[in-house]
Amino acid sequence: MENSQSYQINLEVFQGPLDLLLFLIKKKEIDIHNIPIASITREYLKYLDHKKNINLERESEFLLMAALLIHIKSRMLLPREISLDEEEDPRQILVDRLLDYKNIKAACKILREKEEKQIKKWKRKELPKSVSFQELDFMEVSLFDVAEVFFNLIKRQEKDQIKVIKGRDFSVKEKKQDIIRYLKEHSFLDFIEYFSHQETLEESLISFFCLLELISERIVIAVQKSLFHRIEVWLRKEVNI
Amino acid sequence: MKKNLKNIIEALIFVSIEPLTSDKIKNILDEFPDKEIENALKELLHHYSGNQRGINIQKVSGGYLFATTKEYDEYVKRFLKDEKKQKLSREALETLSTIAYHQPTTLAEISAIRGVDASHCLKTLLEKKLIKIVGRKKSPGKPLIYRTTKNFLAYFGLNSIEDLPSKEEIEKILEDKYEDS
Repeated sequence: MENSQSYQINLEVFQGPLDLLLFLIKKKEIDIHNIPIASITREYLKYLDHKKNINLERESEFLLMAALLIHIKSRMLLPREISLDEEEDPRQILVDRLLDYKNIKAACKILREKEEKQIKKWKRKELPKSVSFQELDFMEVSLFDVAEVFFNLIKRQEKDQIKVIKGRDFSVKEKKQDIIRYLKEHSFLDFIEYFSHQETLEESLISFFCLLELISERIVIAVQKSLFHRIEVWLRKEVNI
Repeated sequence: MKKNLKNIIEALIFVSIEPLTSDKIKNILDEFPDKEIENALKELLHHYSGNQRGINIQKVSGGYLFATTKEYDEYVKRFLKDEKKQKLSREALETLSTIAYHQPTTLAEISAIRGVDASHCLKTLLEKKLIKIVGRKKSPGKPLIYRTTKNFLAYFGLNSIEDLPSKEEIEKILEDKYEDS
C-alpha cells in the first residue's frame, strides 16, 4: 500500500538521478556508507517504470544511473580472487558522488537564504532599465528638433517615391493608444525607424501629431544620447496609463 | 568649511555603482594617509551599522556599496512599479554552487557532479554574469573553463569566495536531516 502511493511522485521533481537516489536513501533510512545495492536498484527502477515513455533528452541520465547501479551489483556478485577488504568497494564511486552532491544541495539551501535576503536590498545598479531612460544618460530633445527631423524625413521620402494618399481614416485617439502600446512592448521607439514604416503620408502626419501631443502632455519624452544622435521616444515612467 | 574625510568617503561610495574597494578610495584620495582613510571608513561603517536607516553600506565583493535595507523592500518595489527580481531556478542555483565550490571547472565536471547535463544552466548563468569563461583546459577537446564572477559575490552578499557556506555550516544543515521537495 505504502509502495503504490510513493510512485505517485513524478520524476520531474528530481534534479537528476543523484537527487532521486538521495530521496530513496532518506525514505528507506539507509546508511549512505552501506547501501544495499539490490534493494535500492529495485526501488530506483520502479520510479523509472512508472514513466510510460522515457524522454531521452531529459531522462537519459536516469537510465545511465540505472546502468551504473546494475554494474555495481554485478561486480559485487562476481567471485573475487582477493578478499573484500583489500579491494575497493565497488560502491565507493557512487557513495563519493552522492556525498558530494549532498553537500552541494546543503550549500544551495544556505545560498538560497542569502539570495532571498539580498534580493530585498536594492542597489542603484539594479534599478530597472526598461522604465528608466534617465539611467542611460540621455538628453531631452525639444519639440522643434523632433519636428525638424520629421520634416527632413518626409522630404527624403518624397524624393524616393510618389505616394498616393489613400482614403483610410486614422483616429488620433487610436493612434495615440497605438504608440503607447508600442512603447510598452518595445520600451522605446526609434523615431526615424518608426516613421520609415508608415504606409502613407497621411498616416505619418497623424502619427507625428499624436507624438507631439503625447510629448506636450508629458506622457512620453523624446531624448537623444548626444547632439545629432538618433532620437528615441520613451514613456515617462511616473505616468500611469 | 573643514573637509570631513568620513563624508568624502560616504560621497564616493554613494556615487559608485559597483562596490568601491578601499584601494580605489585610497587611490582617489591620495592626499590623505592610508591610515586616516581606513579609520574614517571604519567610523563611517560604524555610523551606518549603529543606526537603523533606510539605506546601509554593504561590504560585498571586496568593496563597499550603498543598498536599501531589506525591511523596506515592499515600498521600493511600489515605487518601481512592482519591478520583480527573479530568484534563480533550482537547477541554476545547483549548477552555480557546483561551480563555486569546484572552480575552475568545466561543463563535463559540473555535469558529472550533478548527474545531469548543465549546458543549458551555464548559458543562463553567463547571461546573468554570475559566471565567466576564463580559458580553455589543456585536455582533449579543449573544454572551456568556468569561474564565478565578482557579481556572483555581490549577488549573494558575499565579500569574498571564502565567505561561501563553510564545511561546518553545511554539516549543520545536513544534521537537520536531509530535506527534499
